[in-house]
Amino acid sequence: MQSILLVEDDAKLAGLLKAYLSRNGFQVQVTDDFRHVLDEFVKMEPDLVLMDVNLPQYDGYYWCRQIRTHSICPILFISARDSGMDQIMALEHGADDYITKPFQYEVVLAKVRSQLRRAYGSYAAVQQEVKVNNGPMILYPERFILEYDERSTELTQKEAILVEALMAKAGRVVSREKLLEQMWEDQHFIDDNTLNVYITRVRRKLKELGAEEILETVRGAGYRVLDLGPSAQGKGK
Amino acid sequence: MKLFLKDHQMLVGFYVLQMLLVPCVYWLSGEDRPMKIILYGMLISTVVLLVYLVVRYFQLRAYYHLLQQPRKWVKEPFQTLGNSVVAEAIQELLHELERNRQNEIGQLRTSKEQQVVFMNRWVHQMKTPLSIIQLTLEDVDDETAGSIQDELDKMRKGLEMVLHSSRLEQFEGDFRVELLSLQEVLRSSIAENRRLFIRRGIKPDIRMEEDLKIYSDSKWLRFMFTQILTNAVNYSDSKSGKKVIITGYKQEERTILDIQDEGIGISSEDIHRVFNPYFTGERGRQYHESTGMGLYLVREISARLDNRVELFSELNKGTLVRFSWVHTKVPQ
Repeated sequence: MQSILLVEDDAKLAGLLKAYLSRNGFQVQVTDDFRHVLDEFVKMEPDLVLMDVNLPQYDGYYWCRQIRTHSICPILFISARDSGMDQIMALEHGADDYITKPFQYEVVLAKVRSQLRRAYGSYAAVQQEVKVNNGPMILYPERFILEYDERSTELTQKEAILVEALMAKAGRVVSREKLLEQMWEDQHFIDDNTLNVYITRVRRKLKELGAEEILETVRGAGYRVLDLGPSAQGKGK
Repeated sequence: MKLFLKDHQMLVGFYVLQMLLVPCVYWLSGEDRPMKIILYGMLISTVVLLVYLVVRYFQLRAYYHLLQQPRKWVKEPFQTLGNSVVAEAIQELLHELERNRQNEIGQLRTSKEQQVVFMNRWVHQMKTPLSIIQLTLEDVDDETAGSIQDELDKMRKGLEMVLHSSRLEQFEGDFRVELLSLQEVLRSSIAENRRLFIRRGIKPDIRMEEDLKIYSDSKWLRFMFTQILTNAVNYSDSKSGKKVIITGYKQEERTILDIQDEGIGISSEDIHRVFNPYFTGERGRQYHESTGMGLYLVREISARLDNRVELFSELNKGTLVRFSWVHTKVPQ
């Protein structure tokens, strides 16, 4: 399990991030002594550091420089400041990337994963390939493969995003708007009709797997994937 | 010289009067002085007066010069005015005023800077609670989540606007011009605002020539596009099927980007005022909470980034905002 040191002085935000990252298979430690961040780092030897810029005693830049004297592990800054200058500052102090507040969970996860992949190589990445589990159903979002009961089918990238969004909230309704938002990318604008098309295609693929009934339409609200097992929430190794 | 002469008119007039009085006194007293002596006396006296005037003029030259050209003084307030008593006193007075003025300006500037610093800090502090609400919201599934998300987006945009309008004043230190792909910047602005499009059922329709390149600052550009896109979506009737059409093309001298909505448009009496600060217009008040700052900021930023922004509109047909850049000219 890869470990993350989270240096964030807002307890609530730290709590939310910790819960989310733990759910996604990381071991997270939150700093509570902002005078000895470096000691904690040395003791823990995390694989990655998530660091707020504004901290009580010294700022994040300071700790970043301190850590850099010991280690080259990836450091991701979290900051409210979003001007180009601030980002350049962060990079010059030795950070690897920068997340601006307010952010969404997916952004944090994506950046954490990509930094880890870059730092520890693709071998490590293969070893901890991301999976989304829903009982016997497993989605490999990076390879666009959906498995169910020994059978597997290939999805397109869009379908994979759709299935991942639904499976991550298995048992609960995901609104059409939420789905549209996640599938909408820079290049392609998805509207209601397109979403219907994707849903139909996903249904067809689920049918191939013999699991057609697990995707339900909830009138006026959205779609729901049935919760098939205890590990429905878990994404992990 | 002119002022000096005017100032001494009185003295000369007074002197002439006196000179007329002298022969009168002689004539009344009955002494029979020859005219020659009288005239000689008057001549000497006049020469003395002239010498006085010339000396006076050279003493006070700087002083009169200044009074005739006050602008020069404003530009260079700490010059000397010569060494006559009055000139020195006035110089002292002016210097004192100027010192006072500069002190006050200094104080105002400091307090303004403090205010800007405070506001920046405050806005950035607000982003932590926003983050927490955002993250908490992702685990909420019922219908209210969407509406809270809407409000959250509005708050985020509001904060961005405050931040950008305060940055506008220190613009020189806060932008980085580079060669940008118009298409990329625009698409990322649309993606940033995708929730707005989705919620209101409006579709962006992009028809752009490939690889239009401009020199600009991507952060300010995205901010401007966000303002215009937000307007375009908000003022479109949310009956779905409406589009925001975005066209990019090259003309002879300029690269042009049109953002056109099929919304309610702007009435002809309002159209000249939409770029004014705090102007919301009839429609703005009717429809959505608008601060009236969006288009104003867009115009200000455009002026600084050296691109043109124009607005055309027809009531109930829609509004077209046109950005244009001179080909590959680097803004100052």
